[in-house]
Amino acid sequence: MASGSMLPMRIVVCVKEVLDPDAVGAYALSGGLVVGEDGKTLTQTTIPRLMNAYDEQAIEAALRIREGGTECTVSVVSVGDDLTTLLRHAVALGVDDVHEIRPPEDEPDCHVIASLLGAWIRTSGGADLVLCGRQASDDDQGVVPALLGEMLGMPVVAVARAVEITERASVMVTTVTPDGDETAEAALPAVVTISNELGEPRYPTMPMRMAARRVNPEVVEPDSISEGADLAPRVRLVRQYVPTVKGECVLIEGDGPAAQATRLVEALVGDRVLQGRP
Amino acid sequence: MSAPVVVCTWQGAGDDVAEETAAALTLGRRVAAESGTELRWLVLGPAPEDLVETARSHGVTVVDTFGDARLESPGPDAVVEAVARYSASRPAALIVFNQHFGTRFVVPRVAGRIDAAVVMNCTDVELAESGGFLVTAAAYGGDTRAVYAPDPERTCVVALLANAVLPEPVETPAQAPPVEDVDIDVAGVEERVRIVEQARSEGPRLEDAEIIVAGGRGLGSPENFKLVEELAETLGGMAGASRPIVDEGWTDSAHQVGLTGRITRPALYVAAGISGATQHMAGCSAAKTIVAINTDPDAAIFRYAKYGIVGDCLEVLPEMIRAVREAGVAR
Ligand SMILES: Cc1cc2nc3c(=O)[nH]c(=O)nc-3n(C[C@H](O)[C@H](O)[C@H](O)COP(=O)(O)OP(=O)(O)OC[C@H]3O[C@@H](n4cnc5c(N)ncnc54)[C@H](O)[C@@H]3O)c2cc1C
Ligand SMILES: Nc1ncnc2c1ncn2[C@@H]1O[C@H](COP(=O)(O)O)[C@@H](O)[C@H]1O
Repeated sequence: MASGSMLPMRIVVCVKEVLDPDAVGAYALSGGLVVGEDGKTLTQTTIPRLMNAYDEQAIEAALRIREGGTECTVSVVSVGDDLTTLLRHAVALGVDDVHEIRPPEDEPDCHVIASLLGAWIRTSGGADLVLCGRQASDDDQGVVPALLGEMLGMPVVAVARAVEITERASVMVTTVTPDGDETAEAALPAVVTISNELGEPRYPTMPMRMAARRVNPEVVEPDSISEGADLAPRVRLVRQYVPTVKGECVLIEGDGPAAQATRLVEALVGDRVLQGRP
Repeated sequence: MSAPVVVCTWQGAGDDVAEETAAALTLGRRVAAESGTELRWLVLGPAPEDLVETARSHGVTVVDTFGDARLESPGPDAVVEAVARYSASRPAALIVFNQHFGTRFVVPRVAGRIDAAVVMNCTDVELAESGGFLVTAAAYGGDTRAVYAPDPERTCVVALLANAVLPEPVETPAQAPPVEDVDIDVAGVEERVRIVEQARSEGPRLEDAEIIVAGGRGLGSPENFKLVEELAETLGGMAGASRPIVDEGWTDSAHQVGLTGRITRPALYVAAGISGATQHMAGCSAAKTIVAINTDPDAAIFRYAKYGIVGDCLEVLPEMIRAVREAGVAR
């Protein structure tokens, strides 16, 4: 809708704060990942919190749309506590406004999060395009965007590598499928989830970061938006544990790589994983 | 009797791996037996050839077929509506789907439509002592397992991860179950997402490969991916990759193995310069034999591997290519 004759579109990007998955992975690899005393949360304080990487790419997708000439505003919203740092990062990337919705109880599930996001979108002027990450790297559920789509009655297009707004007020999405890229079109308003194939998100410039420091997110209390919404969780986390992988690896020794490679191939033939020359 | 356990498969979306169907039915049967209820198998779209025999050997009480032509190819809106209407007429305690690309994004919408509890990445379902279910799911890419208690007042929808449950047919199958056609019409449902250009599957897919040689960041630089490709070719297999080297453009995303890439189950998986992060292993831990080549003897990949070589993959890969050629090896 680059024509400019209409009201600017509103893009809402939903972002989640997660524990740095690389740090979690590093602890897991070294065998040092532990679950906290409550038996269900990872409490290692040395694991940094940051924006879910796919959500950062969702912001990037929104900014690319804006830079492509579509008249639009980009709002970023997150459900959680103490999100000022997270949301200032969004501001530094170049979004227009940021909003922090306080969760109504300690552990909101995907249903509660989607309900709050949906209620906020409805009461704050609606959205033409809702962008989410394909999944949060902590719970890996990939459920919130689908529930949001159902609640708002919007179609959901999943795992996008590119998103474009067309002249026909629709969204054209390149999605990543096991058979290669697919192009799909949906009328707006719609929910689109972004995958890592979108590419690297931009890095905030120093002046943008300085300016963002003065911005505080609008804090939204759940009561103010959720009238009539059912905020009872559908699932509760009761326990979390670190699974053990039992290693039984046979290390192939030998005098140098050539000897090792030969032995390895012999072993695979011996196991009939490979068939040797008769 | 309490509400049934329903296993829902959908061939149009790629539910065509018999083992996966068997795994979902195995889980469904166990939960149904423990909760003293029946196991129904809801088949969306075209039925698998050995439908009745599979149902019988997995203790299915009733097969519900839903042969609407709309369900032959993945039309997500029609499927969401179909399952929602089915579930309204026969409320289930638990609905089990297999999780793969074709269902990954539809299952949570089904849950949303019928206001059910939903857990993706499910590895197990048990009965809680207090009644209701306890659903275990992989989280943090597999670094942890989360156990969720869904609201017992609602239907619970789960998407079962491949290879999480071992398929086990019943020892003495009873009679063949009745096959009932579900009389629900979804012809009026309009698909809101229009496919403008279909993905063209170009050649064989990693998902079907019997041998995969995969490379990771340990390859050092993009040119070295050639070594992976060459060993794969020599073995008559396919080349795979970890995500970082796909992100870096050393190869394209069709090669990415893992949580957010391809879920593979080859007979042989050779991992060269791959650390074995859980997100990667989610896509290859079902391989029958994993071989790891890594300079770091403590790399996690060795915990999954049957055979390992602690060494530089740039030296080992060329030697493997040679050894394979010399042995005249094929599968
Ligand atoms: C939400 C999410 C989803 C993800 N999805 C995926 C996914 O689908 N697939 C995926 O692969 N990853 C995925 N990842 C990333 C994953 O966590 C790891 O970061 C990634 O798998 C690591 O790739 P790597 O093993 O190639 O690199 P590294 O972890 O850097 O490992 C390189 C390895 O090479 C070894 N090495 C170095 N030099 C040599 C040499 N000369 N010879 C032999 N070995 C050498 C090193 O010892 C090391 O073990 C995901 C991450 C997140 C957060
Ligand atoms: N607390 C939250 N606040 C805002 N958006 C969220 C939140 N949780 C999840 N989302 C969005 O939903 C996506 C998928 O999350 P999940 O369903 O938890 O895997 C994320 O990538 C975000 O875009």
